[in-house]
Amino acid sequence: MIRAYELTKKYGDKTVVQDLDFTVHPGSVTGFLGPNGAGKSTTLRMLLGLDAPTGGRSTVGGRAYAGHPAPLTEVGALLEARSVHPGRSAFNHLMALAHTHGIPRRRVEHVLDLTGLTDVAHRRIKGFSLGMGQRLGIAAALLGDPATVILDEPVNGLDPEGVLWIRNLLKSLAAEGRTVFVSSHLMSEMALTADHLVVIGRGRLLADTTVAALVRDAGGRSVRVVTPEADRLLGLLTAEPHVRVTRTVDSLQVTGAEAADIGRTAAAHAIPLVELTPQTPSLEQAFMDLTHDSVEYSATLEGAAA
Amino acid sequence: MTTTTALHRITPARVLRSEWHKLWTLRSTWITVLSAATLVLGVGILMGATYTSDGGDSDVDTVILTLYGSQLGGVCLAVLGILVTAGEYATGMIRSSLTAVPTRLPVLWAKAAVFTSTVFVISLTTALITFLTAQLFLNDTDQAASLTDPGVLGAVAGNATGVTLLAVVALGLGAALRSVPGAIGAFIGGVMVLPEVLGMLPYDAVDTAIKYFPTQAAGALGSADPLPNAATPGAALLALMLWAAAALLVPALLLKRRDV
Repeated sequence: MIRAYELTKKYGDKTVVQDLDFTVHPGSVTGFLGPNGAGKSTTLRMLLGLDAPTGGRSTVGGRAYAGHPAPLTEVGALLEARSVHPGRSAFNHLMALAHTHGIPRRRVEHVLDLTGLTDVAHRRIKGFSLGMGQRLGIAAALLGDPATVILDEPVNGLDPEGVLWIRNLLKSLAAEGRTVFVSSHLMSEMALTADHLVVIGRGRLLADTTVAALVRDAGGRSVRVVTPEADRLLGLLTAEPHVRVTRTVDSLQVTGAEAADIGRTAAAHAIPLVELTPQTPSLEQAFMDLTHDSVEYSATLEGAAA
Repeated sequence: MTTTTALHRITPARVLRSEWHKLWTLRSTWITVLSAATLVLGVGILMGATYTSDGGDSDVDTVILTLYGSQLGGVCLAVLGILVTAGEYATGMIRSSLTAVPTRLPVLWAKAAVFTSTVFVISLTTALITFLTAQLFLNDTDQAASLTDPGVLGAVAGNATGVTLLAVVALGLGAALRSVPGAIGAFIGGVMVLPEVLGMLPYDAVDTAIKYFPTQAAGALGSADPLPNAATPGAALLALMLWAAAALLVPALLLKRRDV
């Protein structure tokens, strides 16, 4: 369980995180979404006690991170920025962390095995690819067999196999009853792994919701209709007060009516239909709509850049 | 899920073990330590082998003469001290270290303790070996001396203490400045060069103060016969220990307050 209470971080005049309140529950994967520069990494660093909040506080597993006598067994974290000395081997890096808690060598070997790094464990990290570096970060996060796992952009730099591996890992960690909090700027990735979503933009909470609810709230479903008698059909459909129709160059976009009703109306008035397609807004679109006003650098829209 | 929380917890001994492990799993440690030992020994042998009784060095203190290379070796060990602290900020390792030990200060104390004891043992061993080796060449000159002569063993140990405490000052600078080049610059400029520049000022008060500056105090510790115009060994040791303590206290205060 992770709780943030009015978490705020300012650097001089610039407010990076403002009055952030959220709860991350055990047993499911919670996605932490936001455009680049939204304050995700800063929030995660505050949860881990690396950055001191300007206001508010947070707890992990019932108390402030630094208050745990054995923090690595409570919380495992993968930070976005590399947090290793490149001159050390993967094994020695993990062993240095393990020594602080008296975690035995066999646990270090176990997490190396779990992350597929056994073969390169004694090579210096300097020569690691981005993906191997991410795997090492995840090995470090799992070192203390923690009840809470916090991962900042874990799929960055991974090949498709690695991405799939992360997805399954996150789901299995949650299934074991752990709290799993994963940041990403990619809605599509979160849609495949997360059950719950905490969405922020410009340091403010935009949504604390489930994946399903986010889609539902994002304007709901609509029906695309193409007909040679668009004017006539439009008039018939809008006779119903709750139906909204948007006209585009070649189609009608209908909300508030099911495809079956539209089809029946058209048939009753002998209007030929060329196309009748129910449409669900994509999660990507829902995310874009939600964060539209809070993208820091609007020229580089999310998703397109990635 | 974990049921071993009571078993796995942070203790000062475990943080020390971690820092010991970190120190010796980097090539830079071996390189700086071996360079330091080689320089001290090499310069010592050079001094011994090329010494002539009628040369200009007859008035130089025996221990200072044979351990002349400890100034160069000391710079290597100072660089190691800076790498131990500032190196973690340069690489990002500090985020891992402080996530593992979020109370933070134990990490700095453990680094200082592991480093101080390691450097002292290495410096003392190197100084003893170098003195004895150099004396093989000097035994029929006016610089012939043995460890049992008055003040000699104390000066050899004092040399190692001085080198160690200067390196601790460097470690503290690295922790405070969080930058390897910044700390090396501050150490060379502030600790090694600045006193020399200040010494040119024509004020007695400045000359008196400079005796207690780190490099000058370390020099006073490493002389078998009291040097003219230097602090007494006791005062020099006290001054150097205060410098080292201050050099650790400042980053300790900053470490508690600053973000990583």
